[in-house]
Amino acid sequence: MANELPAAGCPESNAPPDLVAERRKSYKRLFWRFVRLTVLCSLLPLLLVGWAINLHYTSFARERMLHFFQSQVEDHRRVIERFLGEQTAKLKLIARTHDLPRLTAPGALARVFELFNQEEKTLTDLGVIGDDGFHRAYVGPYDLWSRNYSREHWFRQVMERGVYVSDMFMGFRREPHFIIAVTHTDGERAWILRATIHTEAFRALVENVRIGRTGTVYLLNAEGLYQTSPAGRAPIMEKAPYPVGEPHADIRLRTLDELPRPEGKPLARQIACEAWLKTPRWLLVVQQEYDEAFADVNHANRWTLVFLLASAATIVLATVGITRHMIGLIRRRDDEADRLNERLLQAGKLAAIGELSAGVAHEINNPLAILLTERQLLLDCAARHPLPEGEFREQFEESMSQIDIQVQRCKRITQNLLRFARRTESRLETLDVNAFIREVVELMEREARTSGIRFTTALDPALPPVVSDPSQLQQVLLNLITNAIDAHDGKPYGAIRIATRADAVSRRFTLKVADTGAGIRPEHLARIFDPFFTTKAVGKGTGLGLAITFGIVQRLGGSIQVESEPGKGTEFTIELPWEPPEELRQSLPAESRPA
Amino acid sequence: MSPTHVLLVDDEEVFTRNIAKLLAHRGYRVTAVNSGDAAIRALEEQPFDVLVLDLKMPGLDGIATFREMLKLGLSVETIILTGHGSIDTALEAVKLGAHDYLTKPCEIEELVAKIESAREKGRGKRP
Repeated sequence: MANELPAAGCPESNAPPDLVAERRKSYKRLFWRFVRLTVLCSLLPLLLVGWAINLHYTSFARERMLHFFQSQVEDHRRVIERFLGEQTAKLKLIARTHDLPRLTAPGALARVFELFNQEEKTLTDLGVIGDDGFHRAYVGPYDLWSRNYSREHWFRQVMERGVYVSDMFMGFRREPHFIIAVTHTDGERAWILRATIHTEAFRALVENVRIGRTGTVYLLNAEGLYQTSPAGRAPIMEKAPYPVGEPHADIRLRTLDELPRPEGKPLARQIACEAWLKTPRWLLVVQQEYDEAFADVNHANRWTLVFLLASAATIVLATVGITRHMIGLIRRRDDEADRLNERLLQAGKLAAIGELSAGVAHEINNPLAILLTERQLLLDCAARHPLPEGEFREQFEESMSQIDIQVQRCKRITQNLLRFARRTESRLETLDVNAFIREVVELMEREARTSGIRFTTALDPALPPVVSDPSQLQQVLLNLITNAIDAHDGKPYGAIRIATRADAVSRRFTLKVADTGAGIRPEHLARIFDPFFTTKAVGKGTGLGLAITFGIVQRLGGSIQVESEPGKGTEFTIELPWEPPEELRQSLPAESRPA
Repeated sequence: MSPTHVLLVDDEEVFTRNIAKLLAHRGYRVTAVNSGDAAIRALEEQPFDVLVLDLKMPGLDGIATFREMLKLGLSVETIILTGHGSIDTALEAVKLGAHDYLTKPCEIEELVAKIESAREKGRGKRP
């Protein structure tokens, strides 16, 4: 246990336990209040700014992504419509510029077919069909000569409208395909020029865009059947999970949660952009997994979150650290203020008690003086008229002796009281403290040796001669050494160590008196400098020794600290200046100051 | 040789009476007074060998009496009696010319020794 008692007092640790606990609680409350406030004031703006920037960026990135999707759909729709439009226009042109006999002439249709597929494979086959539903001419890989189309849906549609682009259907060839057919009338007989669009070529055209890893482009008819196979995910003409609504002219964006799939787990959340073609009424869908589409945004969001969390953690850590440091400072200041208050309190207490003691001592001295003279008179009488041998004479002599003993005891008490009240003279001299200590130790060693106590000294040779009051310094040393000897009561042996150490920087020196005695109980530590506080037996100590010591040290401009562990010993550390304080010099007559 | 004539000044009547008796038992001639004024008057009336003067007295206290005495040219070897607390004042008196001081309570033998020493000193001064 270490208690600092600068010139007086009551250190924080010796304050009443409930006060200490209350203090601790209040520091804790203060700590958390600071932390909360600082964290709130720093984190809130950070989070708000972070959130606002993130929101702004997310919305910007989303807008950009949606715009990208829309332009993809827009471009694609245009490409597909142009392709279908071109094919239709070519068929119309051929139908108009060729009459039936010419087109059905051997090799004629094949040349037209070649022309269509000249640059790239566009058509699977090409046929001329009469109004009876049979082929008049056909170029292609299938054997369809014997097939009659007059009952087919497309046949009726083209005969009715003149131009028709079908949905995907199986037809006689039993595989998905779609056709573009136009009619022409030669005289009274109408005939049809029908082309089957090359499915693979059309698929390549539709899917001629790569959107990330999960992006797909496909066409659905009004019933929601695939018209192109979306990246091999599903066969053509299968029912798509995509919810096809009513046709509309604009480009629409949709977010689709967990599209069901006939096989495997449902698709993850998707973002889709759709646009209806004018002819045929197909829905063009560009679709991508939501997470992939917004990967950049999510990435930015994640980093923003990491940054915010790291900033928040830094702020919290810094706040806790700084607050702890600040509370530590406040605590030290409070302790300092407490000690100062204690010093003032102690000084005030001592001054008041000193004043009272001086008065009491003085008033007691006179009756004591009379008592002594009365005793002396009786003794004088007894000398002149010797008492006869016997009980009265014995009692008389014993009482006379006892009166003297008790008067001397009272005299010691009053002298101590007056010394405590600092009514004794002060005299400053230049003295060698180490030599001075050796003299005092030599004096006390004789007394201590009988108690089995050994003295050791560790005196700093660097300590220069200092200006102090030798008699008061002697008083201090004697008080401390006497206490140290008394602390060994009941112990067969022990040690008292006296040490000095000079500090040239502060021009002060420390004087330590340490013993291996009984130690001071913690509850007594705060009171040991109080006048009349003693733990010694009645009549053995007045309780003024340490109060006097304290007063002297304070007067000489120093401080006194005590460390003690019950059962192990006590160490008093006195710190004194090399030169006494100016106020002490000024208070002394000139001849009491050193040259 | 005539006995040493001591003027004893203390406001405590019992104390002066007892000391007077004790000194008388030891062969001294003692005149006891209980105030500073009475002491000055006594000194003006007749010479004394030694003055034993208490410091703390109501009215004219010991140091004031001593100063007044010096002022009036009443020369006598003086022993200051003091409580432990007024040693500074006693020392001041010694500096002013008092022979010595003694703290109360004191043994009669101590006082006698001081009186003797003062008496010796006084004799040495006289022509």
